[in-house]
Amino acid sequence: MKFHQRLTKSIITSILFVLFVLFSNNILAEDGKALFMKNCASCHAIDKEITGPALRDVESRWMGKRNNLHTWIKNTGSYLKNSGDKYALDLYDRYKAKGAMNVFEGVLDDKQIDLILDYIKTAPLPGAGGGKDSNPIDNKESDNSLLFGILTLILAVIAFTLMQVNSNLKKLSDDKEGIPAAEPIAFWKNRTYIAFGIIILIIIGGYLTAKGAIGLGRNKGYVPSQPIFYSHKVHAGVNQVNCLYCHGGAQDGKHANIPSVNVCMNCHLTINEYKGKEKLYTEEGNEVDGTSQIKKLYEYANYTPGQKEPWDATKAKSIPWTKIHNLPDHVYFNHSQHVVAGKQQCQTCHGEITKMDEVKQFADLSMGWCINCHRETKVQFKENGYYSIYQKYHDELKNGKMDSTKGVTVEKIGGTECQKCHY
Amino acid sequence: MKKIFLISSLIVATFIVGCSDNGDRNPHNIYMPDMAYSRAYETYAYRDSAVFTQNENERGQKIFYNNYPVVGTVARGEEMPFPFAKDKAGDTINYVASKTVKSPIDTMTAAHLLESERLYLINCGICHGKNLDGNGPLYKGGEGPYAAKPATLVGDSKIEALPEGQMFYSVAYGKGQMGSYASQLTRRQRWEIIAFIKHKQKEAKASAAPAVETAKK
Repeated sequence: MKFHQRLTKSIITSILFVLFVLFSNNILAEDGKALFMKNCASCHAIDKEITGPALRDVESRWMGKRNNLHTWIKNTGSYLKNSGDKYALDLYDRYKAKGAMNVFEGVLDDKQIDLILDYIKTAPLPGAGGGKDSNPIDNKESDNSLLFGILTLILAVIAFTLMQVNSNLKKLSDDKEGIPAAEPIAFWKNRTYIAFGIIILIIIGGYLTAKGAIGLGRNKGYVPSQPIFYSHKVHAGVNQVNCLYCHGGAQDGKHANIPSVNVCMNCHLTINEYKGKEKLYTEEGNEVDGTSQIKKLYEYANYTPGQKEPWDATKAKSIPWTKIHNLPDHVYFNHSQHVVAGKQQCQTCHGEITKMDEVKQFADLSMGWCINCHRETKVQFKENGYYSIYQKYHDELKNGKMDSTKGVTVEKIGGTECQKCHY
Repeated sequence: MKKIFLISSLIVATFIVGCSDNGDRNPHNIYMPDMAYSRAYETYAYRDSAVFTQNENERGQKIFYNNYPVVGTVARGEEMPFPFAKDKAGDTINYVASKTVKSPIDTMTAAHLLESERLYLINCGICHGKNLDGNGPLYKGGEGPYAAKPATLVGDSKIEALPEGQMFYSVAYGKGQMGSYASQLTRRQRWEIIAFIKHKQKEAKASAAPAVETAKK
């Protein structure tokens, strides 16, 4: 028995020892990059100034004096006091408005700082690849369309020639059989032609008139140019920013709200250039440079990248965005009613926003369109406190009086009553 | 008579056809603009600058209206204002002092957790990651467009040791590269998100501890 216990004990201790060795090896192997990411990357990037300066070639700026750099990193305050280093003082002055650097005394030892500095030395330069790859694809696409165009032209010429040949042959065969060609009547005197023309005119004219009259006051397809080319495709699509991040009003009240400049600057304080692979195009198909649009934002925000002071939101001007979706004043529409209580997706009414560079009005926002949706959409009764007062419907759904597959439509709870939206 | 009717209907028809579509860059035509565009006190409603003003000094000459709540009022269901103002540039006095502020939230119910997680995912997850690991879609381990590494909210002892009050300060006024979220989250929501983060930190610790114990066995 005792021998057993001893054995298990020794096995456990040996396993623990092996684990410990592996674990400590792991710590040793923790490379400079990981250390940099964990301790420095919140405020420093290698090639970009963010809260602190960019760190590429930091050692050459410090004249290769690693020892000084070590004490500086561990505690910038005490280094300034003790050394009187002119470069360090200037550096402190330049960045002090953004806050002093954290103290790393006791957090990082000399070995770890060396690892970090080695990583900064060997970090790969940005760029290389990415943007270049997409160009040849574009060329290929345009080549294709040119090819199709030429093919179509050739085919059209062939068809035209064949038609000519055909009519000539018919004329020849008619002549041979002795059928005289009828003297043609001018088509503007031919009554059948005239009647036919008038009917076509009335149909087309009537159709256009009716369509125009219905379209009055409707704005489907409206895509105004905005003061800044803001791509929903890049923000909501590629970068997965939630709709409610910027349009948070949609969950709280009537308006979805267009974000103020400070919401833009939450991210664009750091992101000052566009390097995405997706190219930006206007509705007309002209390519747009994303970085120039971010610069426009900085003009409104009154911010210069790399400025000494932190950005002051009170000095920003608001951006005069053009409102796209407009309901007439005599219609009441509330976003939170649809988004929170109704649990509707934004895309139901606004279309595939995540694929739009410039936002285009997707629905015509006509009354017929509203009513149609209210007739067809099922209300989410389950786990939705908002509809708990409709006791009768809840009971009927439970005892099977109401078809649960059809459910309760918005119409059934008064969604098509006039005064629901007009009052 | 017949001719006049014919001609006038033709003119009306061409007018309607003509004005129905004037390019997608401009708003399409409407009848009765007064009914289409609101003149009420509404968000985004046009306000004539000859009549309205947002400048408090011009009160009296014009109608003063700036959409802000009256100074010193607290909305229903909202928490009391944070006792510390934003630090002056380069200062950390109020940031340090704010560690004494206690969260008004004692316990988080399951419903509260769910709602605060939703708010976290909308407002914070984009940078700090849906797993609170500081690796959201904007950073993507350094591949994303955002250059600064967002704080690792779960698993970084420095962040986990932050008092609630200082976390609130950072959310309300911004910290480092992070901006102020005061315009996007109410005070109540900010406290709830902080409670959610604290809850997740505790949860991670609780699940890590038994794992170590089982490994020892």
